[in-house]
Amino acid sequence: MPKKYHIHSKVTPLNLDYLFKFRIERGENCINCGRCTKVCIYEAHKRGKGDPRKMAVPNTVVCRNCFRCIQECPRGALEKSLEKDFLNIGGTYWKPDMFITLWKQAEDGKVPVTGAGYRGPFTGPNFDSMWTDMSEIVRPTRDGIHGREYINTSVELGRKLNHLTFDEKGKLLSKIHDTVDVPIPIIFDIPAGNVSANIKMAMVRAAAELNTCIVLPANEISSDMKKYVKNIIPLISSEEIDKHQGTIKNAKIVAFEYTEKMLSSLSELKNKAKKINNVLTIIRVPAMKNVESIVSKLTHNGAEIIHVVADYRCVEIDDSGSENRRLGKDIIRAIHLKLVDERIRDEVTIIFSGGIAMAEHVPKAMICGADLTAIDLPLMIALGARVYEQPKKFIVIPEGLDKVTVRTITQRIINLMGAWHSQLLEVMGAMGIREARRLRGETGRAIFFEEIDNDTFGKIFKKREAASL
Amino acid sequence: MKPSTVKIIKRPSRFKHQVPKYKVTRSSACINCGTCAKSCPYGVHERQEGHNKMSVPIDYKCIGFECENNDFFCVKKCPRNALNISLNPMYETLGDYRWTADMITGTWIMAETGYPPERTDLEYNIGNSGGGFDKLRLKFPSTRPKIDKYEISTEIPLNRRNDGRADIVISTPVYGGGMSFGSVSLSTMVGKAHNATNWNTFTCTGEGGYPEVLQPYDEHVITQVATGLFGVREETIQRVKIVEFKYAQGAKPGLGGHLLGEKNTESVARMREAVKGSPLFSPFPFHSVYSIEDHKKHIDWIKEMNPHALVSVKVSTPNDVDMVAVGSYYAGAHIIHIDGGYGGTGAAPDIAKKNIAMPIEYAISKVHNFLKDEGARDAMTLIASGGIRTAHDLAKAICLGADGAVIGTAEMVALECVRCGNCESGRGCARGIASTDSELADLFNEEWATQRLTNMYHAWNVQLVDILYRFGMKSVRELVGRTDLLEHIDYSK
Repeated sequence: MPKKYHIHSKVTPLNLDYLFKFRIERGENCINCGRCTKVCIYEAHKRGKGDPRKMAVPNTVVCRNCFRCIQECPRGALEKSLEKDFLNIGGTYWKPDMFITLWKQAEDGKVPVTGAGYRGPFTGPNFDSMWTDMSEIVRPTRDGIHGREYINTSVELGRKLNHLTFDEKGKLLSKIHDTVDVPIPIIFDIPAGNVSANIKMAMVRAAAELNTCIVLPANEISSDMKKYVKNIIPLISSEEIDKHQGTIKNAKIVAFEYTEKMLSSLSELKNKAKKINNVLTIIRVPAMKNVESIVSKLTHNGAEIIHVVADYRCVEIDDSGSENRRLGKDIIRAIHLKLVDERIRDEVTIIFSGGIAMAEHVPKAMICGADLTAIDLPLMIALGARVYEQPKKFIVIPEGLDKVTVRTITQRIINLMGAWHSQLLEVMGAMGIREARRLRGETGRAIFFEEIDNDTFGKIFKKREAASL
Repeated sequence: MKPSTVKIIKRPSRFKHQVPKYKVTRSSACINCGTCAKSCPYGVHERQEGHNKMSVPIDYKCIGFECENNDFFCVKKCPRNALNISLNPMYETLGDYRWTADMITGTWIMAETGYPPERTDLEYNIGNSGGGFDKLRLKFPSTRPKIDKYEISTEIPLNRRNDGRADIVISTPVYGGGMSFGSVSLSTMVGKAHNATNWNTFTCTGEGGYPEVLQPYDEHVITQVATGLFGVREETIQRVKIVEFKYAQGAKPGLGGHLLGEKNTESVARMREAVKGSPLFSPFPFHSVYSIEDHKKHIDWIKEMNPHALVSVKVSTPNDVDMVAVGSYYAGAHIIHIDGGYGGTGAAPDIAKKNIAMPIEYAISKVHNFLKDEGARDAMTLIASGGIRTAHDLAKAICLGADGAVIGTAEMVALECVRCGNCESGRGCARGIASTDSELADLFNEEWATQRLTNMYHAWNVQLVDILYRFGMKSVRELVGRTDLLEHIDYSK
């Protein structure tokens, strides 16, 4: 039995200003009777610190929306409403409620748990239009909650052979390629936005403690990060390969920005890098319209790992301003199926990033066909950041974050990954899948809205009229 | 038993105020003449004895904009135009996509009065989730049928196997879901059982033992056998008319159960035959069930122990739920209870509730059709749960192929749950429904709980009878599988 992978979470509050969902206002007709202090079990209401005859301003940070104070105030003096500033966070993809749950996970490292059933929409675009399957009786992780430690979430990066060849005497002829294991199917992508040195350092340290990797532009790797060099994937433009020989020498994996030239000269570049050091190479490809054919060509040319980068809202990258962009879920499926059709799927590792916002997106992206995912914005949100989609992508970093210790920031990121890891185990446990790598392309173990809705209601109610709209 | 014999008694909210939909504001132009207090029949405006000034308007009593056609509409009556009605921003903080504020308010009114709301400003039958039941509509014929409403039966039999076991008939096609001792307060648990007795239907103990206080209601209690086998004893199996095997629950399919150590108090531990203070795992799945043959062995075991009891099998809704249902039929179960992912009352990981297994709407159709194809449909009772919020959801579930439904959250809402979702955190439910905290669990008594539930079941029954009447049916059994009576707003006919 290999050593268990465990993420050590620790409650780590960030004492910075957050936005919260509710606003409670105390009307002038309050008689300071203190009934609210008695009925609120979350201590949102307290008497004034300076003047205990008066009630303090309600603390909405702890409010859990139970309505006790509202309903029991003898004067009906309390009013609650949704905080408009909170509702303005994010946009159509990054919904305000996502921020609350990410902040909380970064604080306590726990799986978000609530009672009274699901509260969201029935279905939605992209990853929200699929459910993962479970198995009622027969499943490999038979031990249920006790057997979770037997679930392996690690994945391999690198090229695998389609088949092995042997000579007449049975001697292995094929050269087995090197691979790198990461214990969770998540790596960190280039930090989003303009971040201070302590944040960057904390991200590197978190990646190292989790034993995963972080992609960093080669010129941003500072000398104090050298200790963690095995967990850093330097990103280099192919022209500057000579300039960064030193960096490549120490790395296990190197990433290159995709250029059209690579379609013909990839092996040259690969050989050049491997001559410096026997590194694995990632080609970082933006998820444009024809991304699946680029991925296929690169794979035919010997690419080992391809990192497909979608827009931060999990759609195709398209500068034309078109509204009709392909969704992340469909991009991954198209790439995976093309590689399967061409019988080269195992020869390349596909990393998907862009809009991986919640724990559930990791197994869902893998079910659609990615080998693993990369994240950037959730790491910033773990530090209390807010993202706005309108009028254009904009990240607000809480004031004072640059003065928070590297240890605290590191722990917040570790907590978030701990919570995501546990949630991945929940999903895999329910599916009865014991190896994360087996999630890849397992669309048979998922339920897709379009298919099941059509199979059920489509059959009963004939053709979808709105389909063309 | 006829539903009309159930006694309805008005049971108002246990709180001083309710959550208002409207906001009534009085400006400084008010001269405290008291015209509004005299004209408003709902009691929004008050001037207390000996006071010169009008009290602050009691918003939640206001019926809103639809009042403007009344002669007594305060805004028009006020000689100084000092009054104004608007939507209350507080109302937006109540409810969510699945359970809208209107639906919660409507259910509260049902639990208070025993009838569907008379107000026309509440959309309490349909949620805002944008799919499933919320996109299905009942397609009523335009002609009025010649049926006496009093002849309409809402009874359903639970034993359709003709195997010599008890012929149980319930008076309304709904029963209460399993909530274990420890997860809800005793008043809630007893209230549920007492209501089940009033309605000649059932409630379920959940996994966690069979408290003695439920013994007066034995005839209407289902006891659960779940993977932890907590509190399962021969005598509890022998005491009841229905035994339920819980394989999984919709809110957390495939994850098993987990009772936190601090919730495992002395009484809970005794009931569960466990050690106080230690966390209790109810693992998934049954370690003794690897196949349908093993499943049959389980069912045979119960049948041997209690020769009259019916056996219900509760499963969640994976892709192969139809196979599991047919397997249960061959294993000898009487009831197949499928629990969809969007419901559930207990605390569950959000990721599981949202993402694992399919919504109940699809599963009902799948199981109903598969059982029919296998020729087993007439021998099984198909019960749906996990997202049945209203009487209309119930009717739609039956049209899709269920015989009846199990409800959980709707019962909690009748007891004034606001669906804040903090059932498990800290001291538990702030409203005393799902809490065993000594202070919080005393917020209401059994009598209040029983009557609120009985009223809500009555309101649902009134609605169901009205639906059957409009379809010209004399029995709810005629409605089963009638998808032709449904419309889906995304699909054309």
